[in-house]
Formats: sequence, C-alpha cells, structure tokens
Amino acid sequence: MSMKQIALYGKGGIGKSTTSANLSAALSGMGLDILQIGCDPKRDSTRMLMHGTFIPTVMDLVRERGDAGLSLKDIEFRGYNGVRCVEAGGPEPGVGCAGRGIIATFQMLEKFGALKGDVILYDVLGDVVCGGFAMPMREGYAQEIYLVTSGELMSLYAANNICKAIKRLASRVKSKCSLAGVICNGRGQQKEEELVAEFARRVNSRLVAFIPRDRVVQLAELNRKTVIEYEPASGQAERYRTLATRVMENTSKTIPTPLEIDELETLAYAYI
Amino acid sequence: MNLKPLPTHISRSGGCTLTGALSVTTQVRDAASIIHGPKGCAHHNFSLFHATLIDNDQAVIPDLVSSALDESDIVFGGEDALARSIRSVCGRDVPAVFVLSTCIAATIGDDVEAVCGRDWPVPVIPIPTAGFLGGTFQDGVNNALIALADLAEHSQTSPRVNIIGEKNLEYEVEENYAEIARLLTLLGIPVGIRFVHGLSLDDIPALGAAQLNILRDPSLVPVGEHLRKRFGTPFIPSFPTGLSDTLAFMNSVAGACRVDAKRALGTEQALQAEILADFSDIGAAQGVFCGPVMDPEISRAAQEAADALHIRVSGNKEARQLPVHPVVGTSGVRRMLHRWRRAIHA
Repeated sequence: MSMKQIALYGKGGIGKSTTSANLSAALSGMGLDILQIGCDPKRDSTRMLMHGTFIPTVMDLVRERGDAGLSLKDIEFRGYNGVRCVEAGGPEPGVGCAGRGIIATFQMLEKFGALKGDVILYDVLGDVVCGGFAMPMREGYAQEIYLVTSGELMSLYAANNICKAIKRLASRVKSKCSLAGVICNGRGQQKEEELVAEFARRVNSRLVAFIPRDRVVQLAELNRKTVIEYEPASGQAERYRTLATRVMENTSKTIPTPLEIDELETLAYAYI
Repeated sequence: MNLKPLPTHISRSGGCTLTGALSVTTQVRDAASIIHGPKGCAHHNFSLFHATLIDNDQAVIPDLVSSALDESDIVFGGEDALARSIRSVCGRDVPAVFVLSTCIAATIGDDVEAVCGRDWPVPVIPIPTAGFLGGTFQDGVNNALIALADLAEHSQTSPRVNIIGEKNLEYEVEENYAEIARLLTLLGIPVGIRFVHGLSLDDIPALGAAQLNILRDPSLVPVGEHLRKRFGTPFIPSFPTGLSDTLAFMNSVAGACRVDAKRALGTEQALQAEILADFSDIGAAQGVFCGPVMDPEISRAAQEAADALHIRVSGNKEARQLPVHPVVGTSGVRRMLHRWRRAIHA
C-alpha cells in the first residue's frame, strides 16, 4: 500500500484537531502506522493523542538548541496506540512569521526522514493566510485535502476560500494536491448534513462523513483522551471509525470549483 | 499598499533604499550603523562602500554591523536579535547608533522603532529603509538625512552655507564639493558643514545655524523643505550644471546671503572665457553626444558648451562620440571639454 498523505483544513475552532486526533486514533486501530503533524502555532493538535501533554514543538527545539543538535526522537512522540505525533509550533502571537515556521518544520521533518508510514495527517490552522500555511498542499506533502466545516455560513465561507487555494495550487505543473472530500462537523443546525452535502457537490466534491454534535466529545476531551480511546463503544467512536474507513477507501480526487459569495449565501439561505 | 512597478520602471537609478541610507550614515565617521536583516544585506553594502571609498582615496572601513537574522529569527521575530546588536554596539565607544531596517524585517513586522526607543546609553536612531515598500536609493538618502537632522538643534544663524546631500558614491564627489566651495569663496561666503560627508556626530548640531542650504540636486527638495521648516533655513535646490547655470547659481546664492555678486561674477565670467579660449582647438569639430545619463539639464549644459566652441552636434552615430557626464560648475565643464578634446584628437 502506498503512503496516504492527507490534510485537514477548515475555519478556526470548527473541530479540525478533534477530528484529526480521532481520525488518527481510528486509523491506528486498523493496524496502520500513522503520523499526525499539527501545523498551528497553538500546538494543541496532538494533545488528546498524548493524553493532555503539550509535546515540545519543532520550532521551539530549533530555537533553543539549533537544528544541528536535533534528531527525530526529539521532535516525534508516540501517543495513543503508537500514533506518531509532531507539532510544528511557531512564534508567540503577534510576532515573527508563523508561515515560515511551517516551511522550516517540513524541511526539518524531511531531513530527519520522519515523513513515512501508512498515513500522514496534517492538521492545519484555520485560514490559509499566507504561502507558508499552503505549504502542506505544496511540493507533494499533502495530496488529499479534506475540508472540515459545519453548516454555518462563516465556516462554509472559510472552506470555500480553501477551495480557492487548492484550485490555485492544483493548476501548477508538478502539483499533486487535490480535494478529496468534505467532512461535516455538526453544530446541531437543522438540515446541516444536507446543506454541507450540497455545498460539497457545488464545489465539485462530496460529503465524506457527517459527525453530529455529541456530548461524549467534550467528556473525552476533559479526560484528555480521544473519543476512540475514552468511549470506544460509543456511536461517536463508530462514526470516527467509519470516517477512517472512508478515508482509506476514498479514491475521489477533484479540482474544486469555488463559489462566489452570493452563491454561497443563497445556498445557506435555502437550508435555514 | 505599494503596487508592483511596471517593468519599465525598473531601472538602476531606482536602487535599494537601504544602500541609499547607508551612503549617508556611513559618512558619520564616529557612529555605527546596524543593518537589521540577514547578514548578506550588510555584506554587499560593506563591499560597495569599501570599494567606493578606496576609489576616492579614502582608506576608511565603514562601521557596519548586521543583526544577522536567521530563519529562526524570522519565524519567532527578530526584535531580540536587534536588541542584542544594539547592546553590543553600545558597549563600544560610539556616540550614536543608526538602525536601518531591511525588507524581511519589515515583512515580518519587527517593531524597529520600539526597540530603538528603549533606554540605551547613546542615541539610537531608526531609519526606515525597507526597499520593497517602493522606495528608491534616493528615498533612503532622504530618510537618513531627515533622521540625522533631528539630532541638530535650532541655533543662532551664522553666515555659513551648508552643503546638503552630496552623492557620496559618485566618483567626482570631492571635485564637485571643491567647485561649490570655490564659488562660495569667490562670493566671500564661508562654507558650513557637509551634511553628510566625512562628519563626526559633534558637527551635526551646526546644521541648524546656516543662513542657506545648498542641495546637491532637486531630488533632495523634501530634505530642503524639512530643514526649512525645522530651522527656517532657505535652500537652493541644486548644484549648478553648465556655464550659464553657474553664473545664475552665484546670483541666487548672493541674493539669498545678501552679498554683492558683481565682482565675483566678473571673475567667473573671465575664467569661463579663458577656458573656452583654451579649447578653441576643438572648435568647428563635429560630434555626437554619448554618455550613460541623458538628463535634460546635462544635455543643455553640454549643448551650451558645444555652441560656445562652434562644435556641430549631430545625430549621426558615425561622428566623433563626445562623452557627456554630469558636470558641476565651471570646472565640471572644463573636465568635460578635456574628454571631448581626447575624443576629437583620438
């Protein structure tokens, strides 16, 4: 089996890290070797896989020790069920250049030979604000992009913007990145699944999974665990396992067709 | 937001804002200049200034320090690296430190002014020099001169005349200064400071005391205006180009300084006539102007000299090539005529 390299993008606070950690946990349950890379200076992508620990970030280690003294074991940590966890990290809010931090981290990971296994999952911060945050989509790093969104307009708006970035990057000669699907992380809106499914169709993709809002997600987080680990028999855990299976079976790769803002608003109105 | 310049606007006369500012700050001989950016930004400027100074017979090592930003500084912000550099330079015996920003430091939003505004033992003066914001070499020069002007206080006017914004990287910088000093001496007006050429920090307060400022060329008008507002000093916007312009320049200076120019003008006219007589051997020749800069003022000055000697200037590329360079004052014209003579008799 060839290595799958996927990235989850979506609006800040929409549940990318929760979805990523549960997806990684579910994939590891299929006997796969998983690497999850948190690409956000907040550095909390892998925290539930690490039972609440904030692991040292690549950028912090580079700053403290320089890159010459670092090796893979300093930056990669094994979490739940052997999932390998890396956090890119970045500057304090309001200074420096976080995008450049992502680029530097990827170069470091490549140098250390960390980019291997059955699945690499990049969990990328909310908006693709600059070239640095588009890095996971470039140079063949993440080849399958999943959008995480709820049915809220602002979340769809962010997802639509990311479609623009994918479309732009996919048009480059050596590009290997494409849109693999949309994951709806429900907020409990009416007809939310239908709305997001329709959005996915309009941007030339499809809804891969609908994850409804469930109290067990909060409970698991308060217990510093993924749902897969905390309540494996729950319906929610089953939904993450279903997502994992669909991701592994998914062969759909498209170049998205982003919507105009008024199209997006009309769409959201139709389902309210 | 600065719009992308059209390709036609890209010319070597645009240049780098940082280099322009450094061409000023490195002339304050006892102060240090910190370039807040990757070390390469300091290296190529150091090489340029060192080579230019050697060309002008000055074995001076410019005091340039780099904050030497690396990738980690870019990711996490470069303000700490700048503070370290300032601290290190302040530990030496310097009376002031200039801090010049670079493209990358401005891109990541380092607050250079805030770091310079901390409690340092000597004045630490920030000069905005990020070139990608659309500024040119000349903007760097102007920004640096205006920043340095703030070190001077308003003081009682002396009869002196300051020279503002000499082109420190031009080969003829000393000759051109000497020509202006000669004309001023002829008028009986004492020369004040060369702002900024070969100064020490202690010289700068005299900036505000002059009765007149003479700018090197009109691109310095924003500096002239700044000094006029700050110290009330009037200015003349340019060194003179060509023979008649030199006489007009003497008249303007005399008017601004309220001296009688009559005798000095007579002396200068006699000198100009003598020079033209010296070059009568190239009169009636034919030639075509050539040169790197075809500024209308310079062309006018060249045409005037050619007419005075009855040299026929044609568009014929086969004709003798008469090199035209920026000429300052009567002496500048004489140097140009020497070049023409070599070309015509070649």
